[in-house]
Amino acid sequence: MNSDKFLDRAHDIQDTYGYIPEGEIDKMAKEFDVPRAKVYGSIRFYSMFYTEPTGKYIIRVCDSLSCHINDSKSIVDSIKNYLGIDDGETTENKKFTLEVVECLGHCGEGPVMMVNDEMYTHVSKNMALDIIKDCT
Amino acid sequence: MSEKYFLKENMEKNVSDYDFSAFKKALKMGQNKVIKEIEDSGLKGRGGAGFPTGFKWKLASQQEADLKYFICNGDEGEPGTFKDRLLMEDSPVKVLEGIMIGAFAVGASQGYIYIRGEYAKPIKIFNKIIKEAKKEQVLGENIFGSDFSFEMKLIKGAGAYVCGDETSLINSIEGHRGISRIKPPYPIEKGLFDKPTVVNNVETLSCAAEIINQGSDTYNELGTENSRGTKLVCLSGDINEPGVYEVEFGSMTIREIIQEFGKGIKNNKELKFVIPGGISTSILSNDKIDIPYTYEDIEKAESSLGSGALIVVAKGHDLIDLMLNASRFYMDETCGTCFPCREGNRQVHHMLKKAMGKGIDHNKTELIKDIGKTIRLASRCGLGQSSLNFIGSVIDEYPNELLIGGVDNG
Repeated sequence: MNSDKFLDRAHDIQDTYGYIPEGEIDKMAKEFDVPRAKVYGSIRFYSMFYTEPTGKYIIRVCDSLSCHINDSKSIVDSIKNYLGIDDGETTENKKFTLEVVECLGHCGEGPVMMVNDEMYTHVSKNMALDIIKDCT
Repeated sequence: MSEKYFLKENMEKNVSDYDFSAFKKALKMGQNKVIKEIEDSGLKGRGGAGFPTGFKWKLASQQEADLKYFICNGDEGEPGTFKDRLLMEDSPVKVLEGIMIGAFAVGASQGYIYIRGEYAKPIKIFNKIIKEAKKEQVLGENIFGSDFSFEMKLIKGAGAYVCGDETSLINSIEGHRGISRIKPPYPIEKGLFDKPTVVNNVETLSCAAEIINQGSDTYNELGTENSRGTKLVCLSGDINEPGVYEVEFGSMTIREIIQEFGKGIKNNKELKFVIPGGISTSILSNDKIDIPYTYEDIEKAESSLGSGALIVVAKGHDLIDLMLNASRFYMDETCGTCFPCREGNRQVHHMLKKAMGKGIDHNKTELIKDIGKTIRLASRCGLGQSSLNFIGSVIDEYPNELLIGGVDNG
């Protein structure tokens, strides 16, 4: 397969399983005719690909400078507190993974957070918790 | 003062409602005239580096090759920057037209638009645009009855700031780790799959489309000699009305942009400094922002216009906390290839973390500046070279405040 399909393929697997399992890495290695280590190395470079299972919902809270100035830290803290997990961790019931991330490109509407593909702007502490409670 | 609409003219979201007049005009003009028109306009790359677009196209057009690639860089990730997202969401057809004009000018038959993975909405929009364009035969063989054929693919990035660098982006499209390449060879000689490749930013290509549409003469009436036309300025931070504003170069000072478009500082606070071009650029303190918004004036003030991300910071923030935030960004986002960038940014982060709430002494700040100098000299891409601009400039501007803990009482 042409290597310009590599990222697309990895996204598909990530979206299907919530991570990229070892068996799929083997398959990709065959499809793209490269060593498994090469596939693994590429995947691990990108923050949106995981090699361990993630929660059904990946919560990404921006803490880059413009959001930080608008107190994104308090949003992060209240989510951590509510879910009982730290940055990069997944809840025991595999429902939520929390990621404190760099700029999401909505700097004029901060603080912002994403839940999977959905973007939320002007987030307050209460709003963040309401968004999480709405995830079923 | 009001916004000067040049780029914000003719914003269209549907392929079928758009007449592609600029592209049709380009087909009639022929490759050389299109390149000449862009060269005459003095358009500079809007991604941050400011390389002259017409010159890039000219060099690429002179390359002999069986296949050339044209890439639109939509991997906008510089903290404070959100103008490419606006263009991809609200004016995607013009972005497509810019790509087609560029590809035609340099003789590229294959194109890509690389959009960062977090931009779910622009990705959805561009998937639709490409599908529509194929259906309407705006993309494909012999476009509008000409000899020009062009195919295009969308690549969804996967979370890596460094892929905004053009050689890293090329590696990423090829399915590699998104690390930069050694230059030369430059992408225009040997880029994607070792073929001549042009990489242009989203705003740059939108500008190019509008320059062909309205003519370089119209464009040249706007701005100053070295900063022609307009710029999308992204206002964020401690500001009442953040947003993307189109500013004619040289028509306003930085303070006027903040006052008139941003409606001043939030909560009636006093302004402390601005970051004029995203966190890879040096700060300008309150007494230095009465300068016209142009490439040359901001450079004279020892900073850079960068991507056009104007972050406004009021008094009252903990400076060490802000520096720590920026240092974490570079520690997280360095690709790790060049040792000084990988280890230097980590060490700076360590030092700042230790200094939180306590202050940082002169020896440490000198060490940070020294590391900054080393990274600048020894890194091969823009991420590394500019990674300590912000932190270094805060140290230079506020040495005494950092000594006592980085909190001012303003």
